[in-house]
Amino acid sequence: MKQTIAKKEILPGQSKVALFYAALILAALIWFTPVITLILTALKDAGDFARNGAFSFPQSIRWANFKEAWDTGVKNYFWNSVIVTGFKVPIGIIIESLAAFALTHMHFKWADRVFTYILIGLIVPIQMTLVPLTLLMNALGLIDTLAGLTILYIGFGVPFGVLVMRGFFRTVPVAIIEAARLDGCSWFRIFYRIALPLALPAVVSLCILDGVSTWNEFILAQIFLRSDELRTLPLGLVQFSTQFSTQYDQLAAAVLIAVLPIVLVFLFFQRYFVAGMGGAVK
Amino acid sequence: MASATAKSAKLRDDSLRFLPWLFLAPGLIIYSIVVVYPMIYSSWLSLFRWDGVAPTKVFVGLDNYVTLLTQNDVFWIALRNNAIWLVAALLLPTSTGLGLAILLNSKFRGSHIFRSIFYFPAVLSLAVVGLIWTWIYHPDLGLLNQALRGVGLKAFTRNWLSDPNVALYPVIIAATWNAVGLPMLLFLAGLQTIPEELHEAAKVEGAGPIRRFLYVTFPLLRETTLIVLAITAINALKAYDIIYAMTNGGPANKTQLLSTWMYFLTYNYNQVGLGTAIAVVLFSLTLIFAIPYIRFMTRKG
Repeated sequence: MKQTIAKKEILPGQSKVALFYAALILAALIWFTPVITLILTALKDAGDFARNGAFSFPQSIRWANFKEAWDTGVKNYFWNSVIVTGFKVPIGIIIESLAAFALTHMHFKWADRVFTYILIGLIVPIQMTLVPLTLLMNALGLIDTLAGLTILYIGFGVPFGVLVMRGFFRTVPVAIIEAARLDGCSWFRIFYRIALPLALPAVVSLCILDGVSTWNEFILAQIFLRSDELRTLPLGLVQFSTQFSTQYDQLAAAVLIAVLPIVLVFLFFQRYFVAGMGGAVK
Repeated sequence: MASATAKSAKLRDDSLRFLPWLFLAPGLIIYSIVVVYPMIYSSWLSLFRWDGVAPTKVFVGLDNYVTLLTQNDVFWIALRNNAIWLVAALLLPTSTGLGLAILLNSKFRGSHIFRSIFYFPAVLSLAVVGLIWTWIYHPDLGLLNQALRGVGLKAFTRNWLSDPNVALYPVIIAATWNAVGLPMLLFLAGLQTIPEELHEAAKVEGAGPIRRFLYVTFPLLRETTLIVLAITAINALKAYDIIYAMTNGGPANKTQLLSTWMYFLTYNYNQVGLGTAIAVVLFSLTLIFAIPYIRFMTRKG
């Protein structure tokens, strides 16, 4: 008798849990439909797509889509994105953390005003800068160069980078820094031997957030890169889509290639996304 | 006496008068050249009539703004679209993000996997998001129309991105898919600061889940909510890539935003004065949300 009552109590609970998971899995599947569609499209041949549409299993898996997309230009776009991101992120982090360190630990009278001045960059619509930047880049001969684009990315990255690094430097105890000062440690040594190592998680977070946003950037690349062989991935993909508008199979493969590095970073460094955004609102 | 104290302080740390500037210099210089100076110069340019090439610019005062307001129909379409976009962005990603955060904040098996799944679209570039959703909206082969036909709602199928009456909304849905991740993340971080005991106490008092949300969770998320709303609004006004990738402002300019219309006027029609004037309008709209946000970020001094 007792047992049956206990059982009765458990059963509704269990079915509730099952229902909860079923609803959640269904929602997740719907949420992921665009991604699933993308993968299915990349794996089938063009005829299959034309007959059966995007959301059906491929009749036969066609890996050649990836190779064809890669050879049609994605290779170039990919390496351009690697170059720009590879230079922008480390240089950006160095100058951003130097600035953030000065603003948090160097008892600097102007710190608040300078920080506010830097924060303005977070809210400026990029359209506000395009025309003068075009004139400037033209004058410097930097239009249509990856170096010019990288410089712009470094400049636009300063506000967010300073914000995140400042958030973390504030958690470095002042006592440690004062002790180092009393020991005659120079400010620069304190910065790279004490503050930076302590903020290493922040540096990793910022690398990832910054890397992802540089990899994904569109409008500056669109305005300042003119020749096809210099295009970065987002720009190249949109171009690819207008040029080969009916070759969905290859386009989908190209998109997957572009997204793959982001997915890997996301899978391996997921917790840093949370930490980085946390630093930005602290 | 005072000067003596100042002098000893100076002796203690003479370096601090110029050293912080040295640390700040690389960042401040590149930021000022790339972001601040162009902002100011754009505002100045918005007072001229100029094609971007001619050696002389004609000073016209506020004429460009008057032209936009009185003679430029697309400006009004874009402004209206920005307003719709903004309202949608303040409602959809924020409430979805909050709902998901509350659902996924409790520890259960697999909660981390679900968090990743729902966050994932946020790491994709808007150009990529636009391309993926363009297939979904494809009139013949797209999933949306296929699904509608499949469940017998053929009457609702249409050429989603070419129909001038609806084209903006499919784009907003695609943008929402991408925009949910950030509020979810911020709300999850906010929820983690709420002590479990408060919920337990409310439960003991007999409060159900809805009352617990209204009287415990939500008031304590106030700060997070304000940040989320500000960031979402600022990002919404920045929308550009996804329009470019999905509709390019069309059909018949019906999906132009201020950001895309600025690009068209400046780079396709060589109306630099009008283009920069639009940028200034866009920036002014952003300031409505940005000023409280910046004040909040700098509040602790």
